[in-house]
Amino acid sequence: MIEPLEIETKLLDFLKREVFAGNVVVTPETDLIASGFDSMSLVRVLLFIEQSYGFWIPEGEITGDALQNVRSLAATAARILNAR
Amino acid sequence: MPGDLPLNGCDYLMLGFDHEMRRRGYAGNSCQIELELDSAISSDVLGKRIAELVTRHPILRARPGGWLMPKWKLPQENAPLPQVRVHREQSGLREKLCDEPLAPKRGELFRFDLVARDGGRMNVIFTWAHMLMDANSAEHFVALVGRDDVPLPALEQPVSTRPRKTFIERLKLARKSVLQFDEFVKAQPRTVGVRFPDAPKAQRFCVERFSAEETARVRANASKICGALGGAQFHAAAAMIELHQLQQRLGSPSQSYVLPVPVSLRAKGSVEPLFCNQVTMMMTQFLPQHLDTTAAAVAALKPQIAQAMRDGLIEAGVAIGEISRCLPLAPYLWILKSGLRGEICSFFYGDTAAVTPLLTSFCGANIHDFTHVGATTPSPGIGAIFYSFRGELRVTVFHLETHFSAAEAGSFAKGLRARLLNP
Repeated sequence: MIEPLEIETKLLDFLKREVFAGNVVVTPETDLIASGFDSMSLVRVLLFIEQSYGFWIPEGEITGDALQNVRSLAATAARILNAR
Repeated sequence: MPGDLPLNGCDYLMLGFDHEMRRRGYAGNSCQIELELDSAISSDVLGKRIAELVTRHPILRARPGGWLMPKWKLPQENAPLPQVRVHREQSGLREKLCDEPLAPKRGELFRFDLVARDGGRMNVIFTWAHMLMDANSAEHFVALVGRDDVPLPALEQPVSTRPRKTFIERLKLARKSVLQFDEFVKAQPRTVGVRFPDAPKAQRFCVERFSAEETARVRANASKICGALGGAQFHAAAAMIELHQLQQRLGSPSQSYVLPVPVSLRAKGSVEPLFCNQVTMMMTQFLPQHLDTTAAAVAALKPQIAQAMRDGLIEAGVAIGEISRCLPLAPYLWILKSGLRGEICSFFYGDTAAVTPLLTSFCGANIHDFTHVGATTPSPGIGAIFYSFRGELRVTVFHLETHFSAAEAGSFAKGLRARLLNP
């Protein structure tokens, strides 16, 4: 069982380090798309999850609601990873 | 040399394209942004604003120089300022401005043309050499010129801030791209451009505008077929289907189509560094069987993007650019073209997403409409750039006049519009 909080922590670190500019404040509640998150960022996140958990989440599984913020993205990823 | 700035690999690729286009008699790798203003502005006010920016950022009238490791050579203080020209709207003027080259090697990296229109309105055409900056930067720069409340860039940072790799690491990465080209050639791409000899040619463009309701429909279609944030992939897939259909109508279908997908290297949430290109290309390929439906084309594109990122092909694209800086242009272009036998890409595609919200006014006049115009090389001779202005989708289709007739390009644009609305 993978906890959403575990994914959230890893995602936050990854996004701050690899995706967003240093001046962008990224918290679990940050609106990702309004902060510049785009389709290539999403693929990078999915690759990061694949490298961390060994499973590629199809992009079609990621809805607009899931992309609201890091918390909802992590919750969606945890649900899909735990259901496989 | 003190005072000079290095071109990064992406800038150098653009310099290479510019060189190649001029050699064949084209205007060069110049792009344009056109603003439709509700009222006229003063060329003196605009000229003063440009002078201020040029003084602060000498790179704006630098010229590319250097043999090995090309660089921006910063100008003398008395170097001429970029031009601001005033015209009266007349037949043929827009075409003339579209084809008039800049002179980057003399330090002319951009110019503004003001076209006075009936009813006191005015269009502003900003033409820039693509080696200076990419389209997203250009939007920000135009906002910077037109508004004094936009923060100035802190520094010129023409070199990518990405971690540097050793030369051997770059060579290994570049080889990955060459191997990918070798795979592509198994189904040899052929553009319409191969039918035409080298000769001076003109570029033309048309703009498809989508209302707010139509834009919402296109976005819903993109979301349904591609999932969240799938707009750019949906646009690219639709364009490739229409290209295949156009080439079929012209009696020259290809065994495959190569689409370079632009990837922004900027950290998200930042427009800096501003005065340089921060875009690399991820090469993808479509076979005719991928181009029956939009869903099939998207299904072919998505795994290629994921695999390319998994294989490090974004870094490979950057590495090719950086290595190419050490080569004189001629051998570099030969290497680039030999892999695909001259067919570097089948279609020029750009997706700059939403135009910066800073572009609401320019020198005090309200901006009524906004257009991006890209540039295309002899092969493929056609391309499209997608963007949205005030939430409404725009697609500019540009083509070379002798490769495609206006009717052919128009049929491509109308077909693309219909496909985006009804995939």
